[in-house]
Amino acid sequence: MKPKAPESKTHESLIEIKDVDFCYGNAKALDGIDLTVRRNEIVAFIGPSGCGKSTLLRCVNRMNDLVPGARVTRGTIEIEGVEIHSPEVDPVELRRRVGMVFQKSNPFPQTIYENVCYGPKLSGIKDKSELDGIVETALQGAALWDEVKDRLHTSANGLSGGQQQRLCIARSIAVRPEILLMDEPCSALDPLATAKVEELILNLKEEFTIVMVTHNMQQATRVSDRTAFFYMGRLIEFDETATLFTTPSCKETEDYISGRFG
Amino acid sequence: MTTPHIIREFDEAMDRLRDQVLGMAGQTQLNLERAMDALLTRNIDLSKVVIADDNDVDELEREIDSLGMDVLLRFHPVASDLRVVITSMKVSSNLERISDHAVNIAKRAKKMSKRAELPETQWLEPVYTLALQGLRRSMQAYTDRNSELGLSLDTQDKELDRIHKKVIANLSALLEEGGERSEDFLHLIFVARSLERIGDLAVNIGEDAVFLDLARDVRHEKNREDILSPDTQEPGEDAS
Repeated sequence: MKPKAPESKTHESLIEIKDVDFCYGNAKALDGIDLTVRRNEIVAFIGPSGCGKSTLLRCVNRMNDLVPGARVTRGTIEIEGVEIHSPEVDPVELRRRVGMVFQKSNPFPQTIYENVCYGPKLSGIKDKSELDGIVETALQGAALWDEVKDRLHTSANGLSGGQQQRLCIARSIAVRPEILLMDEPCSALDPLATAKVEELILNLKEEFTIVMVTHNMQQATRVSDRTAFFYMGRLIEFDETATLFTTPSCKETEDYISGRFG
Repeated sequence: MTTPHIIREFDEAMDRLRDQVLGMAGQTQLNLERAMDALLTRNIDLSKVVIADDNDVDELEREIDSLGMDVLLRFHPVASDLRVVITSMKVSSNLERISDHAVNIAKRAKKMSKRAELPETQWLEPVYTLALQGLRRSMQAYTDRNSELGLSLDTQDKELDRIHKKVIANLSALLEEGGERSEDFLHLIFVARSLERIGDLAVNIGEDAVFLDLARDVRHEKNREDILSPDTQEPGEDAS
């Protein structure tokens, strides 16, 4: 049975994934995925390890292109109506528009300032005052400015884990992406740092569209507008988060979210 | 059949919660039966038993709340598990109030038993029959997660209300006539009132059972006939 994704008439669709199969070599990792992400919403991907949620996330900015033998074998992924695999799409430009935050914070071994202005510099911005403005805006957007404004030119490695993760978010948003992909962004953080990042994610929603992978059910309920449950490469159920966690349609979903799996 | 939880302690805690609610329902029903038996058979000792046993019901309410809090705190239940916890706590609150009404009846039975027998006491039997039936059915609906039965409580309660109204009218007429039995008629009016309230509380439990079964909050809904039709069911109602 195909999972029914809630149709959106009133919300603008930003990412449209249509009937996507994905393979690592001969191994099929995704099977017939249909899913639409609306502009300025937060969508959470949940499911057991190996269910394909991170694979799908990485399809959206073609991160999987970097994995030998990995490819979309069927279907299309469109952002604002443009198929991201079409020849006119430059993967580097795509990844500017679709930023990514990883499970473990990965600041460059440089200063805080250089971490944030790395992307804007790559895109050709050289003016010091313009870069200063971008760094301040990005750090404020990532709720880190007040904590680091007096030590912008010190090493990013001196920050705590939670601060480093927020720095990575600042680095992502410095290039003004439309979409932020987050792959378990809080799994390496303590509860307080997690709360700060969650608060940040909720605030970022005003400007960005966010798709996040999480193993933390409570995080999905706290943060996301809609949640997609994956199992063995298939999208089992996709619905409003409140609905999925209170009245899931599929028994597999209910068993997974309530801890009755396997 | 429900798939076992990965954490066995969760299933054990949920079983304990359900068992406590069922135990509380059994004690509450017994209190009501004994209170009415005490009234109808003029049994002072039985009245005293009901008044004493209400403490057990109060204690069970506290235990159920504590168990429910414990499950929420430790396991963060979702979906139908969350509904079981919430519903169990609400049902226990309704049962506690029903038991309080049984105590009210027992106290009046005790007072009336010290006075001359009053034939009009028998007028309360049909009200009692419907109230007891309501309590039994509501708990059946909760135990079986039977929304159809849960919804039927409201219709049945209308019949209870109708008979109650008639009994109150008759007793009020006698009360207005005055005389030495006025106090007893007043006792009977209050007993009838308690039975009518028990019917309402059974309706509440029936509504809790609907929520448990369908995740649908039907409180204060006027048109209940359509609730079970497939067109009006919300997503997920066939889950688990």
